[in-house]
Amino acid sequence: MMIDRNQLRNIDWILIGLLIINSVIGLAFIHSSSHYLPGNHALKQLVWLFVALFALFLFLSMNYRILMTYSLYFYGVAVFVLAGVLLFGRLTAGTKSWIVLPFFQIQPSEITKIAVILVLAHLFSEYRRDSLSIGHGVLGFLIVGVPVLLVGLQPDLGTALTYIPILLAIFFMVGLRRKTVIILLVLALLSGILGWNVMLKDYQKDRITTLLSPNKDPLGSGYQTIQSKIAIGSGGFLGKGYKKGTQSQLRFLPARHTDFIFSVIGEESGFIGAIVTFLFYFLFLVRLFQSVTKSRDRAGVLIIYMVGGMIAFQFFVNVFMTLGLFPIAGITLPLISYGGSSLLTNFLAVSLVINVRMRRFVNV
Amino acid sequence: MKKEKTIYEDLAPLHAKAQKTFFAVGIVFIVLLFSLWKIQVLDHKKYWRQSEANRIREIILSPQRGLIKDRNGKILATNIASFQVSIIRENCRDIEESLRKISRLLDLELVVLRERIDKYKFLPEFQPIVIKDDMKLDEVSRVKARQAEFPELIIRAEPKREYPFETLAAHVIGYLQEISPEEISQSQGERRSGDLVGKTGIERQYENMLVGREGRVLEIADSLGRRMGEISREESMPGQDISLTLDFGLQSKAEELLEGREGAVVVLNPKTGEILALASFPTFDPNKFISRFSPEEWQNLLQDPEFPLENRAIRGLYAPGSIFKLTIATGALDSQIINQWNSYYCSGSTRIYGHPFSCWFKGGHGSMNLTNGIKNSCNIYFYQVGKSMGIEEIARYARILGLGARTGIDLPGEKEGLVPDSDWKKRVRNEPWYPGETISVAIGQGPLQVTPLQIAVQTALIANRGNRVFPFLLMDNESDRTEAAKVEIRESVFDTIITGMWKSVNEEGTGRASKIQGFDVCGKTGSTQVVSTATAEKLGTKEKIVKTHSWFTGFAPRVDPEIVVTVLVEYGGMGGATAAPVARELFSLYKENDDR
Repeated sequence: MMIDRNQLRNIDWILIGLLIINSVIGLAFIHSSSHYLPGNHALKQLVWLFVALFALFLFLSMNYRILMTYSLYFYGVAVFVLAGVLLFGRLTAGTKSWIVLPFFQIQPSEITKIAVILVLAHLFSEYRRDSLSIGHGVLGFLIVGVPVLLVGLQPDLGTALTYIPILLAIFFMVGLRRKTVIILLVLALLSGILGWNVMLKDYQKDRITTLLSPNKDPLGSGYQTIQSKIAIGSGGFLGKGYKKGTQSQLRFLPARHTDFIFSVIGEESGFIGAIVTFLFYFLFLVRLFQSVTKSRDRAGVLIIYMVGGMIAFQFFVNVFMTLGLFPIAGITLPLISYGGSSLLTNFLAVSLVINVRMRRFVNV
Repeated sequence: MKKEKTIYEDLAPLHAKAQKTFFAVGIVFIVLLFSLWKIQVLDHKKYWRQSEANRIREIILSPQRGLIKDRNGKILATNIASFQVSIIRENCRDIEESLRKISRLLDLELVVLRERIDKYKFLPEFQPIVIKDDMKLDEVSRVKARQAEFPELIIRAEPKREYPFETLAAHVIGYLQEISPEEISQSQGERRSGDLVGKTGIERQYENMLVGREGRVLEIADSLGRRMGEISREESMPGQDISLTLDFGLQSKAEELLEGREGAVVVLNPKTGEILALASFPTFDPNKFISRFSPEEWQNLLQDPEFPLENRAIRGLYAPGSIFKLTIATGALDSQIINQWNSYYCSGSTRIYGHPFSCWFKGGHGSMNLTNGIKNSCNIYFYQVGKSMGIEEIARYARILGLGARTGIDLPGEKEGLVPDSDWKKRVRNEPWYPGETISVAIGQGPLQVTPLQIAVQTALIANRGNRVFPFLLMDNESDRTEAAKVEIRESVFDTIITGMWKSVNEEGTGRASKIQGFDVCGKTGSTQVVSTATAEKLGTKEKIVKTHSWFTGFAPRVDPEIVVTVLVEYGGMGGATAAPVARELFSLYKENDDR
C-alpha cells in the first residue's frame, strides 16, 4: 500500500504544479469577485485547496488497480447517498444537492464522478473487442445513467451534464461501430425530446432559446449572457485591473465567483489575462493527456482519458457559456470556480492520473 | 505469462485515439482564442460603452427657483420640498407589464400613464419621464421600499413652486407649467422633459433670472440601482430672487375691490413708472397649475367664458370713452385750436354734419369752457373740439400720449390697442375716413381701443406735466429701464387739464365719488357703451345687449403727484358710480400708508 521511493520519484510534480497554479488563479479571482460578500469565500476555498491536496496524496498512496477492484462498493455507496440526499436532503437554493455538515457542506454529485470513472475503467479494463458490444454499451449507459438521473432530479442539470463526457470518452476509447453511433444518436435525440418536454423547467428552456437571441429579453434569461459578454468585452486588451471590474464589483454580473468567474478574469485582466489563464489550462490539459502514453495498462489509459475528457468538456462549456456561445447550464470552471466539492473531485481525478503514471513500472 | 501480456499489451490504438482527441482540444482552444479576440479586442469599444452605461447614473439636482417678493420684501412666490417619480424606459423588462404594475403601485390610471409615456416617446430611452409629482410621503416610501422590484422608477426631490397668497397678483406673477416638447427642442439641450417653466407673467418674463442652473451628479450604481459612490458633483445654482415694485397692501386692496366683477386696476408711481398694483379679475390660483397633471382644472379655466387667465390690465382692449376727452383736450390746447377760455353751449343735443348727437346729460350743461367740459364730461363741448381738430390731429396727440403702442411694461403679451386715422381706415377697411366718425372718436368711442395700463401711463404723463414714464415691475433694474422723457407739449396745457380733472373730483363733477379730504385727487371718469355679443351669449339671449363699461383714471396729489390709479369695471355702469369709488379706496389706502 505504501509508496516506495521509486514511485515517489515518479510522481508527476509538473502536473501537480499546474493543478495548483490553476487553483491559485481561481483563488485570486474568487477573492476579487466575492470580497464584498459575507463569508470569506477565498479563505474557504484555500482551506478546500489544502484538503484537496491532502486527499490527492492520500489517494496516491493507494494503487489505482486496487481502488478499481473496490470501485463497485464506492459506486454503490455513492448512489445510495445520492438517493438519500434526494429523499432527505434540505432544499438549498432550490436544489437538494448538498449534504450539510457542521462548518462545511458537500456535494455528493461531484464526488460520485470518481466512483463512476473507476467503475467504468474496471468494467472495460479487460474488454478486448475492437468495438462496443450491446451488453457493455447498456451496462455503461446504466452506470452513468443512474447518478445522472438522481442528480438531474435534485435538480442540478448542470452537474448531471458533466457526467456525459465521461460516458462518451469511454465509448470512444472502446470503439464504436457505425450502427452503435446511430443507435446512440437516436437515443440521445429521444432523451433530448423527452428531456425538453418532461425534465426541463421553463427557465431552462428559456436559457436555450435565449442563446439564439439574447437581446430579446435583456433583463430576463438573456441578462446573464449579456452582462457576461459586456464584462469580458469591456475588459479589452489589458483589463480594468484587479478588483476594478465594474461589471463584477457592482454586481451586474451574476454568479461571479462560481459559473461566471471567467467573465471576471476577462474583465479585470483583459485579453492578456485570459490568454495567460488559457495557457496554464492548456499546459495542464497537455500534461494530463500526455500521461496516457505513460500508462502501462488499458485501465490506466481509460482513467486518464475519462478524467481529461471530463475536465476539458467542463472547461470549454463554461468558457463558451460566458462568451455567449453556449446556453447557461450551471457548469462551473473546474479548478478555478468557487466550490469545495468540485475542487476536491477534480484533485482526486487528477490524483488518479498521477497514480496511473507513477505505477507504470510496477507489477501488482 | 498472463501478467507479461498485461504489461506489454499493445496500447498504441488507444494512444492514437487520445492523440486525436487532444488534437481536437487544441482546435477548440484556437476557436476560443478567436472568440475572445473578437469580443475583447475588436468589439471592445461597444462593450466598454455598455459597461459604462451600466454603472454610471446621472442625477439632476433641480435648482431652487428665485423668490418673487413685493417692494417691501413680502414673499409672493416661494419653493417648498416635493417629490416626483420618473420612469426610465430602458430599465423596463416589458414596458406594458411595467406600466400595469406601476399603475397599481402609484394608483394612477393606466390610460393616463400610457398617454404620458406616449407624449415623450421621442426622447431617448434612458431619459426619465416624470409620471407623478407632488407625491405624498407614504407614496415615496412605498416606491422606495420596492425599488429592487422597480428598477425603472427613480425618485427625485424637487423644489416645488408655491404662491402663498394663491390668487394674489396671479396675472402679474404668472404660473409655471411643464415645458412643451417644442420648447425642449428650442432650448438646445438646456432643458429636459418634466421641467417646469414660466408660461406667463413675471415667471415667464424673468425665467432666465429665476431659473438658476441645474446641478449634476454622476454616481456609480450597482445592478440593483443602489448608490455605490460618486464620480463628480456639480451643485445647482439657485435662481436669482426678484423684487417687484408691487405693493402688497395696494395689490390686495385692488383685488378685494374687484372681487365679483370683471375688470382691471392699475396703480403706478407717476414719477418713476413703478407699478404699485396691477390687478385683473376674475383671477385664478397659479398653485393649481404647478402639478404636471391637472388637465381638468386647466381646461375649465381655458373654457371659462369670463377668461380668468387673461390679464385685462395689459391685454384687455376697451374703448376709452370719456377718458379720451383728456387726450382731445391736451391736443386741442397744445395746437391752439382752443384756449382755456373758449366755450361752447351745451343744450343736451346738437346736429353735426346733419346727424343728431346728444350729451349724456339730457338737460344740457349750458355754456362750457375746457375745465368745466372736463369736470362735467360734456359730450357737446368735445364734439365741437374734436370736429375742429380733425382725426389726424387727434390721432397724432393720442400717440404722443402713448396710446396705440405698447407701454413696454416688463410682462409678456401686452397689447398695443388701436388709434384710428384715415390711413388705418384705408388700409383695413379700404374706405375713406368720414368726418362723422371723428365725432364719436372725440368722446372715445368708435374704433379706438386702449388698455387700462395705457390709460394709467397717459394719466401719469398728464400728472407729470408732460413727463412720460415707462411702467415696470422689476425693482433695481436700472439698465433695462427707459428714463422718463419730456414730450413736446407745453406745461401750461397740462395745468389747464389738471384743473379740469381737479374740478371733476372736488367740485361736484363726474368724479366726485373719488374725493378724499386732504388729498387733492384729480380724475376723469368714463362710461363706454359696448355692444357685446359675448355677454349676450353668456346671458343666454340672442339679442345684442348694450352695456356700459365703467372707467376712472386719476392721480393725487395735484401738486407733485405720487400716485396714479386707473380702474376699469366691465359692465360696471357709469364711471362715476362704479369705478370712481374703487379708485377712492385705493387713494385713501395709499394716503393712510403714506401718513403713517
